[in-house]
Amino acid sequence: MKTSLSFHKVIVGFLVIYLLIPLAGTFLFSIAGKWDHTILPESFTMKWYIELFQDERFYGALQHTMFLIVVTVGLSVMIMLPTIFIITVYFSKWEGWLQAAAMLPYGIPPIVGAVGLIKVYSNGPLQITGTPWILVGAYFITILPFMYQGIRNSLSTVNAVQLVDAAELLGATKFQAFRTVVFPNIISGILVSTLLSVALLFSEFAFANLLVGGRFETIQIYLADKLNSSGHLTSAIVITYYSIILLLTGTVLKLTFKKEKVHDISSKKRSLLFLMKPYRQKNTALEGENS
Amino acid sequence: MSYVTIDQVTKGYHHQVVLENISLTLKKGEFATLLGQSGCGKSTLLRSIAGLEDVDSGSIFIDGKDITHISPRQREVGMVFQSYALFPNMNVFDNIAYGLKMKKAKNIKSRVTKMIELVDLVGKEQSYPHQLSGGQQQRVALARALVMEPKVLLLDEPLSALDAKIRKSLQKELKRIQKELEITTIFVTHDQEEAMTMSDRIFVMDKGKIVQSGSPVEIYTSPVNTFVAKFIGNYNVLSMEVFHKLVHSTELNGKEIAIRPEVLQIVSANEDNLGIHDDWGIKGFVKDVSMTGNVLRYEVETEVAAFLVDNLHHKGKMFEQGAQVQIFVPKKECIIL
Repeated sequence: MKTSLSFHKVIVGFLVIYLLIPLAGTFLFSIAGKWDHTILPESFTMKWYIELFQDERFYGALQHTMFLIVVTVGLSVMIMLPTIFIITVYFSKWEGWLQAAAMLPYGIPPIVGAVGLIKVYSNGPLQITGTPWILVGAYFITILPFMYQGIRNSLSTVNAVQLVDAAELLGATKFQAFRTVVFPNIISGILVSTLLSVALLFSEFAFANLLVGGRFETIQIYLADKLNSSGHLTSAIVITYYSIILLLTGTVLKLTFKKEKVHDISSKKRSLLFLMKPYRQKNTALEGENS
Repeated sequence: MSYVTIDQVTKGYHHQVVLENISLTLKKGEFATLLGQSGCGKSTLLRSIAGLEDVDSGSIFIDGKDITHISPRQREVGMVFQSYALFPNMNVFDNIAYGLKMKKAKNIKSRVTKMIELVDLVGKEQSYPHQLSGGQQQRVALARALVMEPKVLLLDEPLSALDAKIRKSLQKELKRIQKELEITTIFVTHDQEEAMTMSDRIFVMDKGKIVQSGSPVEIYTSPVNTFVAKFIGNYNVLSMEVFHKLVHSTELNGKEIAIRPEVLQIVSANEDNLGIHDDWGIKGFVKDVSMTGNVLRYEVETEVAAFLVDNLHHKGKMFEQGAQVQIFVPKKECIIL
């Protein structure tokens, strides 16, 4: 028993190192001056960060990304939450259809999707190719699986159907039952889905580049552009936007879970951090390819 | 005057009949139990009364009002679910007060406090459901339903998730509260012992039909068919042909005969008829014996059939496995099905 426990610890330790080393490397590179033939940098400098923070384009790109994320995720929660709730609770026989629809984005590669979207929306009644609105639409579909799974799982975890039954028998209307009994209990599930979607959209490049490109520069397009000029600068960008996400996540988590018990918070935070890891890996891989 | 009337209610799912022509009436203040194996339709019937399931045909009346097609919130029934369905985001007080708040009732605080006293949860008002034991959660669920002063209280296997000891004490308490408030109650269970202890009237259900109804004593002592006899009391059910062969008499006639295990007497093989001339004696041997504490249960093998025999456990009066015995069947205890 004891040996197997320490074995597990070693495995987890290796995993953490494996995931953190690229990030630590990126950070080191972003503050490195000269770093050619030594293991650690020969000199350190903040000039990449200074350069970044003085670049107006960076703030513009960040703003664009934030705008897209807030609009898309907000829209998704507003539309998907009632939809999933109504279908799970009142029309459970249609659940299969909703599930199939929500899983579709997995089956379509971004390139194929983008080409199709450009074709459909470059003429006809809805000419939105090249505007941020086509990105909002594409992103809505991209995060659909996360939204669907997260919300549906939390609905079934709290046994929403029975909670609604109980509330209705106590005199609540359907809407009251949702607002007072279901929603407060699935808010953490919604939050997990939301944060996952935010993280995913923050690092989305394919759709942004193909559908809108330089006309509405997002942080990833800015990053791709800078890759050609300096590896140090791109490292600084990666570290900066990673910090922004970390800060955002931390704040939201703190605000939402402060009422709950201590052990509940830690377990939820842990699960969230675990969800963030694939994203983290993706950024560093992008960096590694080009430096 | 009946208070609850269910008139020819029928319901099916996917071409399968779940409730078939169910009719029953209850008096005000009665404690009725729907008893049956899982899948017999008892929970569906209860949910139909609550309005959580639609019925295909038939009608349901409570206190003279047809409630068949009105929404659950207007039916004035209270329900306790098997898994309690407490609201996890609310503490005990708020859970119990929920219905009153929805109704914008007056004196919420005093009514909830009184209910908390009734179900013996004083001091737990601020606890959340996950901080309570199963028994305590059960009491909250009960208080939450009762505080609304429903016309009918519906209980869907409310005790089945609890361990035996808490279950027994909650059975008593539930009965006490029901008597105190004189509330008409419909209880669903698959446990015949629970049904016997608690009910004024039992409706035994099988395959979507009510097969027998009556007081616990009636149901137990005169089952109408083999299903009820076997389900309710471990009856020995024999075909008449076999029985005639065993007792060398054709005095009783019918299809089958049912005999309760506890009315059979077991004595050693060479003993006399105990002087009771109305008894039939059957020779056999003890195939197995088990003890539940106060009761010894013998499995006696005779030439053509096996019998279950229950005896009170007296010191020094126990037959070993393999012992040659005879059992006496009292004539008046034989039930012809």
